[in-house]
Amino acid sequence: MMSFIRPRWRKPAGVLLAGAVFAAAWAIRGGPRWWLFVTLVALAALGRAFALYMWAEQDDDVGAIAGSRADERQKLVSLRSWALGGRFAMTAAFIGLTVAVALNASWWWPFLAILAVTGFGYLLGLSNYGIAQEEPGDPSGTGYQVQSPASS
Amino acid sequence: MLSYLDIMRNRVREQRTQRGLSQSEMAAALGVSRQTVISIESGRYLPSLPLAFTIARFFDLTVDKMFDPDDDEEAAR
Repeated sequence: MMSFIRPRWRKPAGVLLAGAVFAAAWAIRGGPRWWLFVTLVALAALGRAFALYMWAEQDDDVGAIAGSRADERQKLVSLRSWALGGRFAMTAAFIGLTVAVALNASWWWPFLAILAVTGFGYLLGLSNYGIAQEEPGDPSGTGYQVQSPASS
Repeated sequence: MLSYLDIMRNRVREQRTQRGLSQSEMAAALGVSRQTVISIESGRYLPSLPLAFTIARFFDLTVDKMFDPDDDEEAAR
């Protein structure tokens, strides 16, 4: 989808787009000094995009991932890191939900939403990358293709 | 339990040095990063089957000549 953008610009462009959307949300929200928050968000996004752009110059794994030129091992490293991040997010959401329930707080539902979304994402991953691709007609009963995560 | 990383050995470094290639030159020829060549040579990363074939063909060898399980470890199992 982003193939028309040069590889080194892809991640910075994503950050700038996300920053623009978030800044727009602050602008729509309005209120006193909304422009200050918009400016802060814009500066943060610009800083992050610039850091990613400079990071992409480095001749190491992080630079390759930041510059969207990762090979199969580097994609696997990135994938595992995202998986670890997902586990952390899910654990934090579970802890947050448990604490909210124990305190009878009204802010339990965002944690439940995060748990539901990550759980759904996991099931979608199982469906896309493995389980659903088993072919019942295989005479050996063992052969089904599982796409390498590094190739996706 | 032994993982594949524990029992698989390869001759990538040996073949590369025999041909007088640097890790960067080999990486460029294979279309991977220098860090990945280093990881494969040190046995910290097992390449995918397509990359294993690419490496073997690069050195005019077969995959099983380039990558094979350590015989001692196999016998110990």
